[in-house]
Amino acid sequence: MNERVAIVGVGWSGFRPRTPEVSYKELIYEAAVRAYANAGVDPRADVESFVTVAEDFIEGTSIFDEYTPDQLGAALKPVHTITGDGLHGLATAYMLIRSGYCDVVAVEGHSKASNILTHPNIVAYAQDPVLNRPLRLNTHFVAGMEMHRYLFETDTTQEQCALVAVKNRRNALKNPLASYAADLTLEDVLNGAPLAWPLGVRETAEHSDGAVVMVLASEKKAELLAEKPVWIRGIGWCNGSPSLESREWGSVPYLQQAAQMAYQQAGIRNPWNEIDFAEIDDTYAYKELQAMESLGLCDAGQAGALVEEGATEMDGELPVNSSGGSLGVGYMLEATGLMRALEAVLQLRGEAGQHQIEDAGIGLVQSWRGVPTTSGAVAVLSN
Amino acid sequence: MTLLEHTKNAPQAWSGNLPVTSRYTYGLAGERFFRAMKDEGKIMGSYCPKCDHTYVPATVFCERCLGELSEWVDVGLVGELHTFTVLFVDCDGNPLEEPELVGLITFGDGGIIHRLEADPDELEIGMPMEAVLKPKAKRKGSILDIEGFRAVSK
Repeated sequence: MNERVAIVGVGWSGFRPRTPEVSYKELIYEAAVRAYANAGVDPRADVESFVTVAEDFIEGTSIFDEYTPDQLGAALKPVHTITGDGLHGLATAYMLIRSGYCDVVAVEGHSKASNILTHPNIVAYAQDPVLNRPLRLNTHFVAGMEMHRYLFETDTTQEQCALVAVKNRRNALKNPLASYAADLTLEDVLNGAPLAWPLGVRETAEHSDGAVVMVLASEKKAELLAEKPVWIRGIGWCNGSPSLESREWGSVPYLQQAAQMAYQQAGIRNPWNEIDFAEIDDTYAYKELQAMESLGLCDAGQAGALVEEGATEMDGELPVNSSGGSLGVGYMLEATGLMRALEAVLQLRGEAGQHQIEDAGIGLVQSWRGVPTTSGAVAVLSN
Repeated sequence: MTLLEHTKNAPQAWSGNLPVTSRYTYGLAGERFFRAMKDEGKIMGSYCPKCDHTYVPATVFCERCLGELSEWVDVGLVGELHTFTVLFVDCDGNPLEEPELVGLITFGDGGIIHRLEADPDELEIGMPMEAVLKPKAKRKGSILDIEGFRAVSK
């Protein structure tokens, strides 16, 4: 058994709305060699196992796990692909080390979203084929309905949700990896086109291309490899009932469960006081508020007021999505959780540049696999 | 968006697609549920006595206790509007000429997702809504046997 697991190297390529000059393998390769150089490991000699996250229909290839080893240096090595978010991949890599089975593991996630020409159809294919798909509805309807019920149950306002988009896209101005940085007013967001009322287009993340690779190591290896290891203190995941007919619409209990699992491992009792910053789901602006509440950062219905007060701004009590989040950086499909974890690693190493948060010691990372899923994954990282 | 994307010299890419067609078996619960809708114009649920929970549409098992469900209940055609949205894009991602109203109407502890035949300004969460079924001769045993839901006329 290895008691502690650290992230000892990170690498990325992109992030950009389009990457027409490189293939997905080249995107991954670039991120991988950077991560291995960053960790000071030889992937062919030192990395014992590889974990990737991908989804066949998103990739446009059946049995996509066959397409992952070569660009990572993983051929003729233990490798497996998870159809989950990057944080599910991180959890798997963590377990491989924690169990004592490996000492060095690499995890990869990527997005070549610009190559997907029929993305709304692919997402609609995730709806229940018998009960929901025959209606031929764009899957954003699930987000519109969830936001409406969330506002109804918690008295959160549309303005409070829109403020999340204002904050995150403004934070993105300081992040060189962010593609959708903008200095918008509340009115700019509220007056944008509607998508699935009460949800607006400007409260919905747009896609970005890129890849993220991380190298994880056991404590004894991490001490040799990393000057600034970032420790995975806790990691949890949970899914709710997938059925649109029987799930909760105003709250996200699966996320509460995932957070409890991560907090318990990390010994976090009072998240708002103990956590220094959070990189959490903002695929749609309202999701950030819903996530804050489910993650126990505040009570149900309180997140909107915290955003209004500026408590989650860069210089606030608990900065949320200092990277710009998915709204500012771009939505990166399965790589989203790793995109958020990357920001947390850079913050905890003190390498976040212009958007560095002072004295960042413990970071909270959370991800969701988007509509129509009920998937939550949570990680607590520290330096 | 990179400049490269807009030049005539932009690198080449191959295009491909896949025709995907599948059969989705209704199963024991689905077959009985849709038969009741088609033949009798009913929405059926199944009740778990252990969890005191009514699944709509009916299922043969309880996802809470994993017990087998054998008690079927007719939940009527009037449910409650739990939440709704006005959708402005179609399933290809293109803007809709006429926005669509979509909602969850709860029956028992579950419900039905469907289009709403209503003026959005008249809709309120919690109001009763009634299923509008196709004429019996046109019903085929699918969720589309319901045309949509409308406010219950007083």
